[in-house]
Amino acid sequence: MSDHPEEPLISALLEEKDAPKTNDTPNGFLPIETNWFDRLFLSVVIWIALSLFWFRFIEPLGLSIWIANASAAALAFIIIKKG
Amino acid sequence: MRKPSPIIGLIFWSLVSVLTLFPIYWLFVISVKPAVQLFSTPELILSDPYWGNYAKVWGDRLLRSYMLNSVIISTGNAVICTVLGFFACYALSRFNMSGKESIFFWTITNRMAPPAVFLLPLFLLMTQVYTVGEWKLLDTRIGMILVYCTFNLPFAIWTLRPTVDGIPKELDEAAYVDGASSWQVITQIVFPLCRPGLAVTLILTWVFAWNEYLLAATLTNFNARTLTTGLSEYVTTTGTAWGVMATISVFTLIPALIVFGLVQKHIVAGLTFGAVKG
Amino acid sequence: MQSKRLGWILLAPTLVILFFFGVLPFIYVVYVSFHSWNPFAVNPDMVFNGADNFRKIVFDSAFLNSVGVTVMFVFFAVLSELIIGYFLAQAFMRDFPGKAIFRTIHTLPLIMAPIIVGSVWKLMTTPSIGIIPHYLDEWFGISMNIGTSAPAAFATIVIMDIWHWTPLVTLTLIAALVSLPQDPFEQAQIDGAGKRQIFWHITLPMIAPAVVATVFIRLMDALRTVDEVWMLTGGGPGSATRFVGVHIFKEVFPKTNYGYGSTISVIVLYLTIVSCWLLYVTMLAPRNKKD
Repeated sequence: MSDHPEEPLISALLEEKDAPKTNDTPNGFLPIETNWFDRLFLSVVIWIALSLFWFRFIEPLGLSIWIANASAAALAFIIIKKG
Repeated sequence: MRKPSPIIGLIFWSLVSVLTLFPIYWLFVISVKPAVQLFSTPELILSDPYWGNYAKVWGDRLLRSYMLNSVIISTGNAVICTVLGFFACYALSRFNMSGKESIFFWTITNRMAPPAVFLLPLFLLMTQVYTVGEWKLLDTRIGMILVYCTFNLPFAIWTLRPTVDGIPKELDEAAYVDGASSWQVITQIVFPLCRPGLAVTLILTWVFAWNEYLLAATLTNFNARTLTTGLSEYVTTTGTAWGVMATISVFTLIPALIVFGLVQKHIVAGLTFGAVKG
Repeated sequence: MQSKRLGWILLAPTLVILFFFGVLPFIYVVYVSFHSWNPFAVNPDMVFNGADNFRKIVFDSAFLNSVGVTVMFVFFAVLSELIIGYFLAQAFMRDFPGKAIFRTIHTLPLIMAPIIVGSVWKLMTTPSIGIIPHYLDEWFGISMNIGTSAPAAFATIVIMDIWHWTPLVTLTLIAALVSLPQDPFEQAQIDGAGKRQIFWHITLPMIAPAVVATVFIRLMDALRTVDEVWMLTGGGPGSATRFVGVHIFKEVFPKTNYGYGSTISVIVLYLTIVSCWLLYVTMLAPRNKKD
């Protein structure tokens, strides 16, 4: 923090990202470097987006929401494992 | 780069300043006009001011109680946030607690959340959960003071952190060697040294609390209503009380202007959370 | 040093207050969003109804419209503020008498309460008493009525936001420009680079961090704009300026439909977090990696 007195907000954000870099796998398939929390967050974001999309466009066609949930869970598993 | 004549800069910035100041000037003009003159041709130059609106607002007991509420809530909130923020910063600065940077970051995120989202849950919690018997936290001054902590406390922690970090630890240690207790070190050694930073924090948190509208409008009914909510009441009820509305606005604006004069240099740093120095 | 316990004791009040007024409301709103609950309806109890509220919200045209209006507002307001702010900051880089005073005047709107800004602009733009519609009519024959014309109301709000927040952008960009080293500019001029080339290849990349930080802050603020809009137009005419915050304020409380209102709040929070996070990831992270 003391290295960047002129940009505390940015440096705080960067520190959050920087910290896990050293001990986490740096080469996932995601375009950015992430730690486990980032990936969990991303999974939840995708899950909600997919569910809302499903409610709007696919459920009226008769496909259950559980398909969306299952695929979101599978995707989350992949992201957290390999991202 | 080319060096154009300084006159161009002067003229350009004068124009910008006129654009910046005109709305505020106009607010003042409306506040000193009697109602009958409002609908005639607008006059840019102020002549023959009429102070009836000011007398009316100052004489209104309800508005005076709103003003008192605003003062109490802002002051209480600013003091609490500054003191607790100072304690928190001292803890974050001097102790090797696990995960303290995460805690620090988490407190900041509290300020980033849009208040509109929290209106409903806070309203429900304050009417149904945060109650003691018949007494509810809703529509109380203490309730508003605590609610405003959600955005002002993170701000206080954020702005005080560099100040507290900047006080050398050797001073603390020397005092401990002399046999001072932790409490004495905090209140008698570190606190006085942080005074400039504390003053800026106090003033800015005060003005943020003073300016707040949305939460006050939702979480108060009558007892703890603030001046900003009083202003909106005048708008919804009438189309005629323009002068009174302008006058309340002037009343609400004056403390902010005083504060502006006091800590002008720190305002940008405060509003951007120090992300960019002003 | 001393025991860590003292540290936790000092931190405790902060954590407790933020827990009860920051975290618990968040958990609570998520919890209620899965229920149907209207205390003044036939059945006043809170009833778990799964994801039905979320099923309803994706077809709620009033809410979707408010999201669209908000996105449009944020786009126009933040983009204009950046462009105007950049030019003002550049204009400020030159020397002229009274610089400090002009800078102070320019900062003034920042400290004003949003609700006062709304009231100031209401006094200026309301037909029959406002000075702007009066002179627009007298000089150009344009009739402007923010009470009936949706584009006029929307434009007024964007202009109001520009008036209120451009100073912030200007001052942050001044700070960025002042701290730039002079060498690359001199070198580029010797190499015969044009003004536009200098801007795109030297100035912009060098002030990019400040620009991103400013956009980040302005975006968060613009997404939560309620007070001034509420004051100026109340979300109208129709739903032309009904931003998501205004929508919550106007829709949820009068209708006391707390379950569905919580769902709206959750979705708004979700959209805010995702947009800020996306901005952060796309603009900050790649640059961070390059270093």
